[in-house]
Amino acid sequence: MSKVKSSAIPHYEILYIVANKYSEDEAKLIEKKINKVLIDRGGKITFNQAWGKKRLIYPIKSFTYGYYFLAEFDLAGSLLAQVDKDLRMMSDVLRHQIVVKKIKTAERIAKDKKIADKIAARGLKEEKTIEDQKKVKEETKEKIKTEVNLKELDEKLDKILETSDLL
Amino acid sequence: MENAIKKAKQCYLCLNNINDLDYKDTQLLRRFINSYGKILSKKRTGVCTTHQRKLALAVKRARIMALLPFTGK
Repeated sequence: MSKVKSSAIPHYEILYIVANKYSEDEAKLIEKKINKVLIDRGGKITFNQAWGKKRLIYPIKSFTYGYYFLAEFDLAGSLLAQVDKDLRMMSDVLRHQIVVKKIKTAERIAKDKKIADKIAARGLKEEKTIEDQKKVKEETKEKIKTEVNLKELDEKLDKILETSDLL
Repeated sequence: MENAIKKAKQCYLCLNNINDLDYKDTQLLRRFINSYGKILSKKRTGVCTTHQRKLALAVKRARIMALLPFTGK
């Protein structure tokens, strides 16, 4: 890794939980409020998504349900601490988490797609080999059966012939 | 007797080219925790060292956001 910091503005992703004491419409108002905070601090929102009401795995401040909201934004790294502080001061937000989000370049996407195709092809190959193995096994079984049948037939024929001689 | 020889475990995440583990993808992360919510060792799951580190971080992040349990049962 290079020690020189890149001059590009970093891209962040935030997920936050709004308490269940509000209705869905009120929660949306809170989302707008938070978006405004992000923009006021110099951020640029690129993506917004509401997950809706979800059950929390463990209760937070005795709430068992919460509204999840996801957003992505560009913001100068030095301003992030202030945004974090603002969100922590908000009593409406039960919890939030800001994470650096890597943006995939076109080159990377193409490479990933190539590898995904390879993986798919490999899966098909394995299936084929397994099927082939099964077929071979069945064929050998049938061969053995027919051989056994032939032997039995010979023996029976011999016996019949012997008895016919006696008569 | 071919089936008796155990195959060497391979890293699931390497095999499927999952390099950026997302903490929001709890369905994937649940493969790597036990019923008590503890992160399973790589010895158990066969995940490579690089991915185990990323995995642990993702699980911990998911726990903070109440997407996965700190403890279960």
